[in-house]
Amino acid sequence: MKRRELVTRVLIAVAVVFAVGTPLYFWLRTPLIHAKIAENGGWSPDVLLARPGEPLHLRLTSDDVVHSFAVGKTDMQSVDVLPGKVTDVTLTFDKPGTYTFYCTRWCGLNHWRMRGTIQVGDPASTVAAGAAPTAGKVDVPLYVTLGLDIDSPHDSPLVPGVRPSAADGEELAADSSVSKFIDPDFYRTHSPYQAWRELRNTSSYSGLSDQQIWNLVAFIWRSNTTAEELASGRKRFAQNCAACHGENGAGHGVFADQLTAAGQASMKTMAGAKDMRRQTPANFADAKRMLGASPALLQGKILRGGMGTGMPSWGPIFTQDQSWDLVAFLYSFPFLYQE
Amino acid sequence: MNRIELTRNPLIKGALKNRYPQLALFVAMLVGYLFAILAGLISTPVGNQNFSIVFVWIAWWAILILVAVPFFGRGWCAVCPIPLPGEWLQRGATLDPPHRKPGWANLRWPKFLRNIWLQNISFLLLALFSTLVLTSPKLTSVILAAMLFVALGLSMLFERRSFCRYLCPVGGFVGIYSQTAPIELRVKDKRVCATCEGKPCYNGSASGYGCPWDVFPPGLSKNTECGLCLECLRTCPHDNIAVNLRPFSADLARPSARLDEAFKAFIMLGSAMIYAGILLGPWGAVKDAAYHVGTGTWYLYAGAFLAVIFVILPVPFAFCAFGSGNRHPFKKRFSTLSTALIPLGLSFWAAFSLSFVLSNGAYVLASVSDPLGLGWNVFGTANIAWFPVLTSLLAPAQTLALVGGLVWSAHTARNAAGEVHVSPIPAILYCLAATLVMLWLLL
Amino acid sequence: MKIRRIGLLLLAASGLAVVFTPLPAASPAPQARTFRIDAGQFAYSPSTIDVNPGDRVTIQLVSTDVVHGLYVDGYGASVEADPGQTATLTFVADKAGSFRFRCNVSCGAMHPFMIGKLNVGTNNRLLRSMGLAGLAVAGIFLLPSFLPQGKSNQERFGA
Repeated sequence: MKRRELVTRVLIAVAVVFAVGTPLYFWLRTPLIHAKIAENGGWSPDVLLARPGEPLHLRLTSDDVVHSFAVGKTDMQSVDVLPGKVTDVTLTFDKPGTYTFYCTRWCGLNHWRMRGTIQVGDPASTVAAGAAPTAGKVDVPLYVTLGLDIDSPHDSPLVPGVRPSAADGEELAADSSVSKFIDPDFYRTHSPYQAWRELRNTSSYSGLSDQQIWNLVAFIWRSNTTAEELASGRKRFAQNCAACHGENGAGHGVFADQLTAAGQASMKTMAGAKDMRRQTPANFADAKRMLGASPALLQGKILRGGMGTGMPSWGPIFTQDQSWDLVAFLYSFPFLYQE
Repeated sequence: MNRIELTRNPLIKGALKNRYPQLALFVAMLVGYLFAILAGLISTPVGNQNFSIVFVWIAWWAILILVAVPFFGRGWCAVCPIPLPGEWLQRGATLDPPHRKPGWANLRWPKFLRNIWLQNISFLLLALFSTLVLTSPKLTSVILAAMLFVALGLSMLFERRSFCRYLCPVGGFVGIYSQTAPIELRVKDKRVCATCEGKPCYNGSASGYGCPWDVFPPGLSKNTECGLCLECLRTCPHDNIAVNLRPFSADLARPSARLDEAFKAFIMLGSAMIYAGILLGPWGAVKDAAYHVGTGTWYLYAGAFLAVIFVILPVPFAFCAFGSGNRHPFKKRFSTLSTALIPLGLSFWAAFSLSFVLSNGAYVLASVSDPLGLGWNVFGTANIAWFPVLTSLLAPAQTLALVGGLVWSAHTARNAAGEVHVSPIPAILYCLAATLVMLWLLL
Repeated sequence: MKIRRIGLLLLAASGLAVVFTPLPAASPAPQARTFRIDAGQFAYSPSTIDVNPGDRVTIQLVSTDVVHGLYVDGYGASVEADPGQTATLTFVADKAGSFRFRCNVSCGAMHPFMIGKLNVGTNNRLLRSMGLAGLAVAGIFLLPSFLPQGKSNQERFGA
């Protein structure tokens, strides 16, 4: 064959190998963490290994819709993970242990299930390497310490006729007998109804009507938190809860219907399962439900989730402070905190 | 003078006859094609960020329908990489013909398939699945790879470029639309061909291969089947082949009376209108139906699609071909008259593509900086947020294209109607009605 | 010849008239309008909204599944909403015509085709274009010598 032909063939072969080999080479050498909606697998990989004190460089990309990345139980600002684009995140963990990372922008009904773990420690001693799992130290939630049953109904025996107003309560709070209620130990362990009962039984308030006592309770509840905490809780609610519970907390968020359907569908074969009222997200403006619940009870529901419903468990995600802020904000639905 | 022979210029002629410039283009296209296949398979599955989707369905499509076809006819076929691996194998060489030709089967393409019905079907298949294909990088890659392998396989079995001529879905419409282009390849003087021995333009010689498109150059009177591969320019011993510049749509002056081409015109017209409605319209239910292939609603959509193309568009047009006491057979009148739909279809596709491309063109910038979705930023444009391009010009441009196409079609209709002695008025009114619908869908 | 020239001039003048004559605008008093638009993969609901020129338009974008955006062609106004966090976009519809609004946040496969329509007053562009098309056809009928006829094409263009 002529030399020109040979040279041309070689050049073509080189070009073809280049066209096919270059993408393959770079693709194999670039490990990425892919984010997909939970229904399609969530994070992949979803277990990451790191060493204490060593920076962990992560490259994240989304394979479908907008996601976002953050590490649970920290104050880390979440980082958007956009479809088709690569985001770089560097994390450094000082203490060994298992950390949860999660998606922070709603990406579908099962968004909250999009979680993974980062195991920080000596590589040989991680569970992934075959070591026996050791129980880490966990903060024991208050509801466990108190032995509260967070699954049974907690309706308040009595409800106010009108939404209790903290401002009106403030006017009524004259003496120091309310100051003993403005204390985390009392506030967290008592439901508003229990506070109302105590106030009702206090002689100095015997002249007040039931509604006025409720106003006092509203004031007490508001005094147990600050404006900053309420703002933080409001933001946390908007980002995590509103999609199911509704932006007005009434229980009809954008996913509410799907949740109800999912709950009912899975129960179709059970007799008597038609009345699955608890499958709809809770209505936080419902005084009967909210005023019978102590902050510890609400925190427990948030942290543990379940209760036979689609309520997620936020335990690995929220720090203690973040969960108390959220609980404080939830009471702003049954109570009127601002005029 | 209405034809300018470009090959009179020795520089142009030399560049076209020389195999190296063409080969360089070929290899560049092949590299791009293979890269696109890879990118579709391994890069991000997000369609609008994937190199394969962006460069095939946005960039390449825009260049094809807005530049290559209207101005260069089958110009894309001249550089298309799909037939190349098969053809190199079939020929046994990448440059000049070898001394010993390889012994592939080189079967003649079956007579009953010597038409564009297979291309009509392949295009329709693609069209029915288009919403899925346009948004799925992996599927795009599979289709690109499949075309490459089918072309290769056909080259091993059959002679010449059988895939290109009889199967390629793109070739089907590029062929009939190339009749509108201002460029053509023709013999200069047929009398020279009459006395030519051996006819190397068709049979090949030491300087080049016989026409891979199975065209007999002296008989070439329209652009439809000539793929501008320029082999005949190399083989003709009498320097009797010319590439000419000519007025637009000169070929439509001699309308074709083929039914397969007539239906291709309806397929293209119908699909442009349907796409304008589905892809650019606000009707979410139809988009859903078109996307969820295999569901009940998709079958309804597919049925409606086929009904538009085979019933709703042709039947009223058939009435335009009526004429009492007309000596031409109805089929001939129908097919000849449908030539008028060729400029209309091209303008419909241009108008639709303008919207599609300008709204999505920004993705090209991001894709070029990070073609494999690995976080690169070669030109600094990887993280550009989407933005629409020149959308203020869109409506005037579409109006111009559609009204211009209408005038052009009306002119063609007058000519075609004259050939078969029917009145052009119904056909012109049909074109007007179609244009009004398309304007309403797009603007 | 002269008639042909006059005819062509008339045609051109009518064309310009169709394109540029200001149409009588039925101008109702501008008011403030609010629309709640639900965005889900891959459509808006409602997908078409009608306002009058000059109206102050507020769109409350409610995402029902993933993060969606809403970008209004021609106005360049846009907003993005996460599920559970309604986003609000306010603008004055000072440009008349028909504008598409589309999702500008990648929200899945059919994202580039997630489109709705904003109608501000009458779609004059569409009417003018349709007028032009009709005029073009009228021109072709009324000026038969405007464009050369069939047989002469073959003579002119050669073999």
